[in-house]
Amino acid sequence: MRHLVLFAGSSIPELGQKISEHLGCQIGGCTLSKFSNQETRVEIYQSVREKDVYIVQSGCGHVNDNLMELLVMIQACKTASAKRVTAVIPYFPYSRQADIPYRPSGAPLTQAPPLTEPSTPRTVPSTPRTVPSTPKMDRGALINAESFTREVERIAMAQKLERPMERPHTYTPADNAPLPCAYNDKNGSYREWVARSGTLVADLLTCAGADHIITMDLHDPQFQGFFDCPVDNLSSEPPMVRYIKQQIPDYQNAIIVSPDAGGAKRATRIAEKLNMTFALIHKERRRPDKPNHLDMMLVGDVSGKVCILVDDIADTAFTISKAAKVLHKQGAKKIYALITHAILSGDALQRIQQSYLDVVVVSNSVPQEEHTRKCSKLYTFNVAPIFAEAIRRTHNGESVSMLFNLDNELI
Amino acid sequence: MADNSIKIFTGNSHPELAKLVANRIGIDLAKVVVAKYSNQETSVTIGESVRDEDVFIIQSGCGEINDNLMELLIMINACKTASARRITAVIPCFPYARQDKKDKSRAPITAKLTANMLTVAGADHVITMDLHASQIQGFFNIPVDNLYCEPPMIKYICTKIDNWKNAIIVSPDAGGAKRATSIADRLNLDFALIHKERKKANEVSRMVLVGDVRDKIAILVDDMADTCGTLGLAAKTLVENGAEKVYAIVAHGILSGKAIKVINESVIEKLVVTNTIPHEDKMAICPKLDIIDISPTLAEAIRRTHNGESVSYLFSHVPE
Repeated sequence: MRHLVLFAGSSIPELGQKISEHLGCQIGGCTLSKFSNQETRVEIYQSVREKDVYIVQSGCGHVNDNLMELLVMIQACKTASAKRVTAVIPYFPYSRQADIPYRPSGAPLTQAPPLTEPSTPRTVPSTPRTVPSTPKMDRGALINAESFTREVERIAMAQKLERPMERPHTYTPADNAPLPCAYNDKNGSYREWVARSGTLVADLLTCAGADHIITMDLHDPQFQGFFDCPVDNLSSEPPMVRYIKQQIPDYQNAIIVSPDAGGAKRATRIAEKLNMTFALIHKERRRPDKPNHLDMMLVGDVSGKVCILVDDIADTAFTISKAAKVLHKQGAKKIYALITHAILSGDALQRIQQSYLDVVVVSNSVPQEEHTRKCSKLYTFNVAPIFAEAIRRTHNGESVSMLFNLDNELI
Repeated sequence: MADNSIKIFTGNSHPELAKLVANRIGIDLAKVVVAKYSNQETSVTIGESVRDEDVFIIQSGCGEINDNLMELLIMINACKTASARRITAVIPCFPYARQDKKDKSRAPITAKLTANMLTVAGADHVITMDLHASQIQGFFNIPVDNLYCEPPMIKYICTKIDNWKNAIIVSPDAGGAKRATSIADRLNLDFALIHKERKKANEVSRMVLVGDVRDKIAILVDDMADTCGTLGLAAKTLVENGAEKVYAIVAHGILSGKAIKVINESVIEKLVVTNTIPHEDKMAICPKLDIIDISPTLAEAIRRTHNGESVSYLFSHVPE
């Protein structure tokens, strides 16, 4: 490991430490702090000339600050003549984005909703869109005219009933800050344009100088195509499979459940590997007599069985707690949840504690010490060995394919 | 004459300035909502059509700089994918402008990184004010308009400082000498310089005055006031050398950390800053603070850029 230098960003120092222990090298000396005016400050204390540099930083906590730190570190190493700079990003920020940036028109909307009461619910096609949750309260985010924000608020209150709940968000009616959503002015033709930052973040990493990206369980595997440089999308399935085999008694009779249709592929892969049955919860079903009510429909039979929910990201934990409720109603005996990236922002921990979930197992791609202290149902599995192996093999020029093999017992 | 219209968007860094600029031009601010998701990711939703329009996004590098920078980048990117004709980033105080050279081993040139990020996000043009080093314009491949706060500063000196004909312009460090001499020439006043030795970032050690300030009103001129260590020590040196009163005029008043305390306890008569950075909360606790409004300059620059007229008028005049 003579020519390898590993740096850990300030978002996940513990994971960085574990990775360095696995690799058998020390974490590179650097100071990460902020200037008095909040600008990021990076100082690197050892030479990186002609070395293979790996920077570990996750997109959690204060995302923009951590992203900026990562970009500045990459730039610093590049201008210090590093041979190759690889960004190791366990949880990739801004990876969830709306499928379409605008709302296509459903039923024709001919007039603006009245300002005095919530407008009558409109029918809109159930395309999932990323809807923001509670905006940051201490900004006082009234940036446009008062009347606009009030109008937006009213529309938001009306729309929260019909919003498809796939993307995580929590909107409590007590908040007074405005929420973005479709507004239509008098001609009723324009919807809003939601920014999709995925390509932008990919371009920023490339322009800062990253030559290689290593990440885990990207929300959208097609994300790899946004980059011109090689992207290794590692899989957290081997440790999940191992957990099921070792920690869940009588797992052959359990059922793998995917909490939404998008995650079906992931869940079926694990189910096939372990020779288990599979079920799916579909949550965009709309009943004709209740057009605003989003049902969670279970496809498959779970009565009297142990259920294992598998998902990639748990942010507000809304999806999995709702899924657990459905499973409980359908007669599940015990409900586990295996999640790769557990951001658990807002009141997610409370939601999990009060839900029908029995055990929630998450990876440490996002720091979990605080969360495990507060929630008794939470356990973590360690993904540092996977990243350490990937780093070692990339550095030595060996193949990384064995990390995707679910038979792998090495890590 | 352009056939499309101006759309001005603002992020969360300095919405008051954006409103002043829009009022000066005579239009409303365009509708956009910039907030944060529950997991702290920034969310931008644009509320009007920008297809084929001339978009100006006003965002200053102050407060939570990384959040504001990210908001700016995402807004630029959103407008680009929404088919705007041209996107101009109006950045009154350019972030990371002080990290513009590799002054020690492995130091990042973050100003270059910021320039790259703005270009990659899709900006076609940048308008900024009093860059820390005007060479930063060279970091970009797109046109950059570096406007000057000098005309508004000169107007302030002539109108608000009594007996300004008996004043002397002082630069608190060697790097700002050019800026100070240009103002001194314009006003036909004398010039002095303070040479400082700096050991660590944001910490000043020794100050040496070059020039004579005895019995004169000293006007310190600088581009940035961050922790105000420089200004406080410079004012003390000037008074020790016989200056009657000390004013400080600064383009970007960042005023972070203990700055207000330093100013209140120093011998500075008045600290004058421009409104490139919001100061409402600081005005309440610092009676020595005075603000120059530069929104007419920005508004004129935007109007002239949109109409394809020359902007050189703004380098020596203050638009009324």
